[in-house]
Amino acid sequence: MKVIKYPTLKETLYFEEMPNGLKVYLLPKVGFSKTYGLFSTRFGSVDTTFVPLHEQDMIKVPDGIAHFLEHKMFEMEDGDASEAFAKLGASTNAFTSSSRTAYLFSTTSHEKECIELLLDFVQDIYLTDENVEKEKGIINQEIGMYDDDPDWRCYFGSIQNLYQHHPVKIDIAGTVETVASIDKATLEKCYHTFYHPSQMMLFVVGHINPDEIMKLIQDNQQQKHFSKENPIQRAVVNEPLDVAQKEAVLHMDVTMPKIIVSMKINTILTKPQERLKRELAMNLFLDIFFAKSSSLYDEWLNEELINDSFSAQFTQERDYCFLQIGGDTLYPERLKEKILYFIEHIHEYDIHQEDFLRLKKKTMGIMISLFNSPESIANMFSRYYFEGIMIFDLIDCLNALTMDDLMSLRDLFDEHYATSFTILPQIQ
Amino acid sequence: MENVYQMAGYTLHLIPTKKFKTMTISLRLQSPLLKDTTTIRTLLTFVLMAATQDYPSTQSLATYLDENYGASLSTHITTKGQSHIINVATSFVNDAYLPSPEHLLEKQLQLISDLFYHPYLDNDGFHPSIVQLKKKELQEKLQANKDDKFSYSLDKLFEYMGRGQVLGIPSTGYEEEIQNITSQQLYQYLQKCIKEDEKHVYVVGDLPDDIVNVFERILKFPSHCHDYPSAYIFESPRQDLLEVIEKQDITQSKLNLGYQIQCDFTSPSHYAFTVFNAIFGGFSQSRLFKVVREKHSLCYYVSSSYDAFNGMMIVNAGIEANDYRKTLHLIGEQLADIQAGHVNNDELYLAKIMLVNALKKTNDEAGSMIALAYNRDITHIRETSEEYIEKLMNVTLEEIVDVAKKVELDTIYFLTGKEFHESH
Repeated sequence: MKVIKYPTLKETLYFEEMPNGLKVYLLPKVGFSKTYGLFSTRFGSVDTTFVPLHEQDMIKVPDGIAHFLEHKMFEMEDGDASEAFAKLGASTNAFTSSSRTAYLFSTTSHEKECIELLLDFVQDIYLTDENVEKEKGIINQEIGMYDDDPDWRCYFGSIQNLYQHHPVKIDIAGTVETVASIDKATLEKCYHTFYHPSQMMLFVVGHINPDEIMKLIQDNQQQKHFSKENPIQRAVVNEPLDVAQKEAVLHMDVTMPKIIVSMKINTILTKPQERLKRELAMNLFLDIFFAKSSSLYDEWLNEELINDSFSAQFTQERDYCFLQIGGDTLYPERLKEKILYFIEHIHEYDIHQEDFLRLKKKTMGIMISLFNSPESIANMFSRYYFEGIMIFDLIDCLNALTMDDLMSLRDLFDEHYATSFTILPQIQ
Repeated sequence: MENVYQMAGYTLHLIPTKKFKTMTISLRLQSPLLKDTTTIRTLLTFVLMAATQDYPSTQSLATYLDENYGASLSTHITTKGQSHIINVATSFVNDAYLPSPEHLLEKQLQLISDLFYHPYLDNDGFHPSIVQLKKKELQEKLQANKDDKFSYSLDKLFEYMGRGQVLGIPSTGYEEEIQNITSQQLYQYLQKCIKEDEKHVYVVGDLPDDIVNVFERILKFPSHCHDYPSAYIFESPRQDLLEVIEKQDITQSKLNLGYQIQCDFTSPSHYAFTVFNAIFGGFSQSRLFKVVREKHSLCYYVSSSYDAFNGMMIVNAGIEANDYRKTLHLIGEQLADIQAGHVNNDELYLAKIMLVNALKKTNDEAGSMIALAYNRDITHIRETSEEYIEKLMNVTLEEIVDVAKKVELDTIYFLTGKEFHESH
């Protein structure tokens, strides 16, 4: 077992790779009653074209299948995993993002049994045609719930604007039509391909003894048999440089308009450290220009163009990367022009050292506070892990950033790749 | 472990723990929830945290907070039954994790004191620039809340069910009243809060030895002690069930049910009702989730919540418009089943351990620790978590059936699509 100490954060991490390829990380937290386990795989909603395990040819599976599989994993031959956790006094859940699926439990007792249960229910699949059919009604209601959510529609619409082919433009849950076409055989194919131990990572944080827990996991894994691992072949997406559409407007039964200006970034970095550096630098950059302490925020606030809901976000995952800037506004057209002006004239905007240093301090404080909560540690750990990054390196990387690192980001801005998505009240 | 000190005009509750990397302070101001003051009190929470004399704009205050390593500063308004609570909170990194000591405790506490005693004024009121900005923000926030159909339909349930009563008073005020409030009225209302609100301050974190002195030096309010009522049992003036159906252009229909329960936070049956709710619909192991979602695939979410301060219960679910009657029937059937005594020891045990686990988890989150302590402090219930757990564990099947029998559906609010037709 490898022991890694992080003195600045006063944390110690334990790591071991199991013979079957499963990676296990443990982070004991002194004084906490809670233990939180997160078991994740690099299978998200964008993984719809790949070569299944032990096959030769690429197949295209229905949109929303990763999320559907996540729903069905809880069913076990001898009952329901949620109920088994409940009997241990624990609660369980799962989530699917564009790039990964994660299963979790949270408990204040029976930590060992919970860890074993988490491994056991995810490392086995039990599907019948009936239980697959039954899930469709539930998922359709989940889709319906998001359909009526103006924030979600605006956020997602602004991503759909950007991509012509990339599956990130497809809703994580799929559509009512694609969900209808999902069957048992395809779910099983996805399961065997993406849930092999060598593709997965277990992270446990909280009230644990690392030696005992690691031993427990080793014993648990030794009892199970898995076929030989195979590197997964995923389809390479041929996404054109241009955006899918420059602007879109959606009328909903709402009173408050919203707008998001999104911008596609076509230069995709591949080295994890460079990607991390870009992410931290871009977040700092956006904070300098759009946080509440910035002069642009102040200006737009006084012109009544924005309110508290305004934000600027950077997303970088696998082979796609984009910016989203916007929020609720009574004047979506005017706000759009302001944001587009900023993008177009980016080279006229300078960064001042005092802003740079101040926002570095702010970011550092916020990063430290993220280490308060077992949930946020686990979720961050899993997200960065599949990007090839250890979260404990974030603060050092932040400290190493220079003004020049931020200035050079301006070259990524291009109004040609910027789009807008607007939500407007219905016309009476 | 909590240490309590009576300070100048407030009660200080210290919850020392080394497990967090931050320190959290929460100042809670309690006053009665009234129709006449709900809007001004809400607007005050927005204006209060917008600026101070030293930091007279959103930008300058935000800059100061950035400098303090991203210290947070927020105000929230909520209700606790008949009380209207303003929560002023800040959390900031403990000096031990910073490159050099920054004395953030003193700085942030001084800032909180300045919100009350050195606000950004003009003549005898808050500065009009700030008030105008915050009026607009509140107005837009209320509008955006309405656009969230989940919270909109829940607010509507409370409005209809609580018509003419405290339950019907919106905690975030009335949109149409915002513009009429003047800067002077708002400042006068602040003076009233300083004098008359009942105040509790909670601090969670790795606390320095001289923390009581720090509070003594920096934060003072006029000495005043008021005991405002909070928890109460909701009683409907109506005899009949009220059913309201509203149509909007939406995909998913929102079903909201309000029940009278004859029980609140201070009732002897509070523990039994808490367990009943866990059996009925509080968790994903509960009856409603198992039956309405898992067995009949009618929804993605369905749950019941026990509002212990308004002494009532709600059930909500997102469903297909056509499944309205069927869902109502299934929910009613589960309630009737428990009322008829069809509930077993396995269910009872499962509900209890879920509740105990949920309670223990609150110990790992500063905000929840404070929320739990505050509920007990304003109801004057002296009870440790261990005592609470013991009372939960002692709840019997008979008591579950007894509290279930008192549950009575009072109001249905159904928000549905334009195409909805009632077919019986």
